This record gives sequence, structure tokens and C-alpha cells, in this order.
Amino acid sequence: MSVEPITGRYLTVDIEGRTQRIYFEEAGQGRPVLCMHTAGADTRQWRHLMNDAGITGGNRLIAFDMPWHGKSLPPEGFETEEYLLTTETYIATVLAVIEGLGLDRPVLAGCSMGGRIALQLAALHGDRFAGFIAIEASDFQPAWYDIDWFHRPDAHGGEMGAALVSANISPHAPEAERWNTQWMFMASGPGVFRGDLGFYTRDDSLIGRLGQIDTKATPVHIMVGAYDLTCTPEDAQRTADAIPGATIAVMDELGHFPMSEHPEGFRPFFLDALARMRAGQEVAA
Amino acid sequence: MLEKIETMQQALGRTPHLVRLGRLFSDIVLLQVDEAEYYLHFDRGQLARIEPGPSRKTPWRFALRTDAEALRAFWEPRPEPGFHDLFGLVKIERARIDGDILALVKNLRFFKEFMALGRKGTRV
Repeated sequence: MSVEPITGRYLTVDIEGRTQRIYFEEAGQGRPVLCMHTAGADTRQWRHLMNDAGITGGNRLIAFDMPWHGKSLPPEGFETEEYLLTTETYIATVLAVIEGLGLDRPVLAGCSMGGRIALQLAALHGDRFAGFIAIEASDFQPAWYDIDWFHRPDAHGGEMGAALVSANISPHAPEAERWNTQWMFMASGPGVFRGDLGFYTRDDSLIGRLGQIDTKATPVHIMVGAYDLTCTPEDAQRTADAIPGATIAVMDELGHFPMSEHPEGFRPFFLDALARMRAGQEVAA
Repeated sequence: MLEKIETMQQALGRTPHLVRLGRLFSDIVLLQVDEAEYYLHFDRGQLARIEPGPSRKTPWRFALRTDAEALRAFWEPRPEPGFHDLFGLVKIERARIDGDILALVKNLRFFKEFMALGRKGTRV
């Protein structure tokens, strides 16, 4: 029997004029590190790192479910809406959570679409953060599939989404964690994965903003798994090359969901990334 | 290759969860390996018949076209990046999918796991 150190609570904030009840989890003490999940999933992707005393000893890991994901309900009136995430709403959500939780220049660690928004925030709101860990993150990729597949009345979008993203999981990942990673996609709300992919595969606004990122003020470290078909090492390298001062690590045996699919393999890379980030007080100095 | 597919056919019959996943899948899939064609007649999650081609008359739902070397790499226990997944083969331009791709995506887990039955070390 065991009880994990992760605790979960709810934060209610106003985002773009709408009330959102957001679920967040945290573990550890010290410098705040805000962790962002991928498209079509939720904070459970960070469960292993949040249970890792070697990481939470000096870092307060906080992860939240984006509205429509996990334990964050969609907003009132969702039943007549088409969920389509936008860069503007995504940024407003992250900033509202930071403000709502009173976080002082956290490190932002995001994976996939979370990595994409991390780089957007690095370009547009770098002063609000101590650094950026952009995992499986790139400037832009158009879809190599039809995102409308994932929200149809005649098929199970979750099952299809999970089967598709399994292409991005490394064969080195432990079997149990491969399936735990896929479960979140299987269980996500109808149309949510599609709505996230709309943001990820159609908004190329980051490309023109990469040059605005000041890595002297806030470091940017990009990490990419060799088995990631969506954001390939080449995509990540191209993105790092466009950000003066950005660093990059290629993780040979990992895929697109490294913290979830293969926590042991990811751990040393994440510790290295944390070491590259500045403490908040250093930024203020 | 035919012998390999027959081995996978037998393995599928011994894999109850996969037969259950494919219980609504009754279609013909064309597997093209280099110049050789194999028409896989699936019937409610079982591979009922393997029909070697070529054929101009067999109405397949979707086709997976690849080469023997790529398939060998795909069937390694721990394939190299790109060779680890059917869509990976497509992305690195070692395979092509034709026909009704939505029929494939609707049954993607079933078909991926069926193809992985050829992988060394697969528990069947």
C-alpha cells in the first residue's frame, strides 16, 4: 500500500470573459515548474516526475488540465460549441493559471502542443518566466493526416487517436507505460483531440516570432525523442537553430510522450533541462 | 513472405483480444511487398484467407505497399526510428497506403497489432 505525494485541487479563473474551473496537481517544494500536457491528454502524463523525490526535492512541480481536458470541465454552454483551441486562448489560460496560483516566474515545461505554447510564451511573455523547457516542440508542422477523423459520429475518436499516436511511442518504452499513455487519448472528450490538433497543425504564427525570443533573459532548452514522428529531431533542430542561444537534446530511445511513456529514460534529460533553467531571483537580479 | 503471413494468420487466431478488436472488421486488404501482392481476406477479426496476387478482380478496401527490407526492419524486436510503426514507414517513404484510409484508421489498432504479429518476440 502507498499514498503518493501528489495533491490535486481546483482553481476557478476568468479566461477571456468566461469562467473556467481548472484542475491542477502539484508535488514538491522550491522553484515552481509549470508542466503542460500534450494534445488530447491531461496532467497524468506528468505522474512519474511528480512522484520523483529526486526532482521534487528542489522543484515544485505543478501541472494543470487545460479546459475540456481531464478533470477540467468544458465551460458552460459547451454543448453547442465546436472546441477549437487557439494560440490566444492557450496563452491567456497559462497566464491566468500563473496569476491565479500566484506563481513568481515559474519555469515552463511543456510537451508537444505544450512545447509549442512554451515557445510562443517565450517570444511574447518571456519576462513572466524563469525559463522554458520545450519538449517535442517545433515551430510548426502541418498535419500528415485528416484531423476530422477524430470527431465523427460513426467512429470512436479516442480509440483512433490512441492508435494514431502510438506511432509516436518508442519501442523502448515499458509496455505498461505505453498503454497508460494511450489510455488518456482513449478517454479524452469527443472532439478534444481534434480541437487541439487544429491549433497544433494550422497555426504557424510561431515561425515569425522565434527571433523575438531572448534566451539571455530566459533560457530555452528543446528536447526531442528520436522516435517522434510528429515532431522529428529535424523539426526540433530547425526550431532550435532559429532561436539564438537555444539548446537542444535528442533523446535516442524516447518518443513523443517521454515523461509518460518512459519516465526512467526521460529522467536524466529532464534533470539536465532543469539545471539549465535559472532561479527566479537570478532573473530579477 | 507467404509463409510469414500464414504464421501471422495463425498467431491472430491465438490472440483473443485482437479477434475481439477486429470483430466488426470484414474487409480485404492488399499487402504489396515489392512486386508481390497478397490479398488478406479478413472476416470478423480473423484472417480467413490469404490470396496471392496479382489480381485485377479482387476488390480491396485499402492497400499497404512496402518493400521486404522495410518490413524486416519493422519486424525487429526494437525497430529503428521510422521503422517502428506503419505510419512511420509511410513518413520515411518506405510504404504507401492507398484506398479507403478511413477504414484503416477506424480499425487502426487492430491492423497495426496484426502486422506486429510478425515481430520477433511478440507474445502470441
